[in-house]
Amino acid sequence: MFISGNTTQSHRSIAVLRQICEEELKGVCKLNIINVTERPELAEQERILATPTLVKETPPHSQRIIGDLSNKEKILKWININSK
Amino acid sequence: MEANRTKRRSKPSPAGAERRKVKPLQKVRTHIQGLDEILEGGLPARRTALIVGASGTGKSVLGLEFLYRGALNGEPGIFIGFEESAEAIRKNAATLGWDLASLERKNKLFLMEARVSPDTVISGKFSLKGLLAIIDGKRKELRAKRIVIDAIEVLLRLFDDPGRMRSELHTLNDWLGEQGMTAILTVKPGRGASPSIYEEFLDSMADSVIALDQRVTNRVTTRSLRVVKCRGSSYGRNEYPFVITEDGIVVVPITTVGLMHKPFGKKVSTGNSRLDSILGGGYPRGSCVLFVGEQGTGKTLFVSIFVESVCSRGEKVLYVSFEESEEMMIHNLLSAGVDLRPARNSGRLEFITAYPESMGPEEHLIKMLNRIDAFHPDHVVVDAISACERMGGRQAAFDYLMRAINACKARGITILLTNQSRGRKDFTEISGNGISSLVDTVIRLEYVRLVGETNRILEVMKTRGSAHSTQKHEYVISDTGIDILDVYAGEGGLLTGTARLEQEVKEAIKARQREMEIKMKEREIKHLKAELETESARLREAVQTAELELAKLRLEQELEEQLQHIRKKIRGMNLNSIKDTLRKRNPERRRKGRKGATK
Repeated sequence: MFISGNTTQSHRSIAVLRQICEEELKGVCKLNIINVTERPELAEQERILATPTLVKETPPHSQRIIGDLSNKEKILKWININSK
Repeated sequence: MEANRTKRRSKPSPAGAERRKVKPLQKVRTHIQGLDEILEGGLPARRTALIVGASGTGKSVLGLEFLYRGALNGEPGIFIGFEESAEAIRKNAATLGWDLASLERKNKLFLMEARVSPDTVISGKFSLKGLLAIIDGKRKELRAKRIVIDAIEVLLRLFDDPGRMRSELHTLNDWLGEQGMTAILTVKPGRGASPSIYEEFLDSMADSVIALDQRVTNRVTTRSLRVVKCRGSSYGRNEYPFVITEDGIVVVPITTVGLMHKPFGKKVSTGNSRLDSILGGGYPRGSCVLFVGEQGTGKTLFVSIFVESVCSRGEKVLYVSFEESEEMMIHNLLSAGVDLRPARNSGRLEFITAYPESMGPEEHLIKMLNRIDAFHPDHVVVDAISACERMGGRQAAFDYLMRAINACKARGITILLTNQSRGRKDFTEISGNGISSLVDTVIRLEYVRLVGETNRILEVMKTRGSAHSTQKHEYVISDTGIDILDVYAGEGGLLTGTARLEQEVKEAIKARQREMEIKMKEREIKHLKAELETESARLREAVQTAELELAKLRLEQELEEQLQHIRKKIRGMNLNSIKDTLRKRNPERRRKGRKGATK
């Protein structure tokens, strides 16, 4: 997950994501949080334009979701569909 | 719509004016040929310029050239493309001769493809901090001064909330300015009649807006550029045609160039001594000469004779042919005794041959101007301007010709045009369309059709600033070029060809007849005069004889009187009677004498 700095948006999305990982995907996922203002080269590499952006790296064809993950159900649906 | 626009424009201007007071507006040169002239120096420094245009109008190329030329001139730049891949951009640039990869290696250019994957899901709020972070990282690395964000509408479509979109974009805009970067954003206009939300917003945010357009008229594509606004600066307000040439964009700022025609130089021989004398010495150097005539009247031949003549004297000619290929033309002219091969082989004669419809008028023009500036010809030939209409209509032909003539005149180059007229009266077809004011000499070539034959006639319709013959001249095209014959101005009007010969013979016979009549009359008079003289001599003699006879008669009479007197004396006449007669006679005489005295 790419975030930028210490913003409410970042905090909110991190919180949502952590919750999902613990409740739904315990043990099957690994979460990396990258701050683009600190690591612009990683943002460039992954072409992260907007923050927050969640990048799902496995399966290999990576998928992205942009936004503050305020709609939890939408995210769950996205994860489930794509993890099938 | 109009009110809307002025409202938007008026709002931010006070701020602009304030900023201007502090510091004069700095400009960043785009280094794009012609564009800096229109923008009066370039784009406002550290501001955002918006380029609006439908797909294929050349937005990306313009943006890329801004970076490419900037990088070559010591100002590194960043390109962020939301539509094309970096590889596609490099390839496209290579077709324009731009080696982007080497600039990238030298850290003068950074290409980033930022295509948004179609399966990207949007959920909730987000910011563009990622983009900013990337730009900032690269900016520091390259010390970039320029940035182009291509197809920004792709990015903006991610936002479902216009409010957020605006605030994010404002953040981006302000931030770019703070970092000392001059930005170009390109955007495609919406398809609907009304501009989309992001267009209106971008319009008001950007300090300058350039609109690109592409139109197809008569199957020929024309691109044009218009500066819609440029805050805090004046700029050329017209729509300027532009072309994407072999090495980038060239804008043709015709109106920024005033009429700076050089005065005509000395006369240059036309290559035909008779035509020289008709024109009062030749074509004025730096003037525009137009040959008008139907097909086959020898327009190309006339200009080629000129070309051969000037090239042999070491001058250079650029020949723009819209009708024949170089080889074909040279070959055809050989049969008329004109050999352009030495001129071409010595490099004094260069050709541009192209089908008029192959390009738009701007491209034709730029191709020609580039060659003029590289080759520095003394004279230019455009054969034939009637074909220029195929560049996209009458207006296109006019645009092309007007600029071509102006460009030549401004450089002191003589320009010879040929124009094929379809009939007799339409020589004004193109020349009447406004360029006639730029044409200094019009030579009209005409067919005169008589029973059984067709002859050619030449007439100088106008020559500016020079005396010229106003008579019609017959000319003959032979295998040694063109022979212009004497003016025929005898009775029965203008005659040509055999009719003319016949008439000439008739005239000659008549003249001889007259001559002989005069001679005969002269002899008659001489004869009469001689006759008169002999007659008068004879009469004089007669008079003299008569006079002599008279004198003789008088003498005889006198002698008779004296004899009578003597006879009377001898016969013893009475003396008294003689005295009486004397007395009677005397008073009579005295009276007569007194009467005469008193009178």
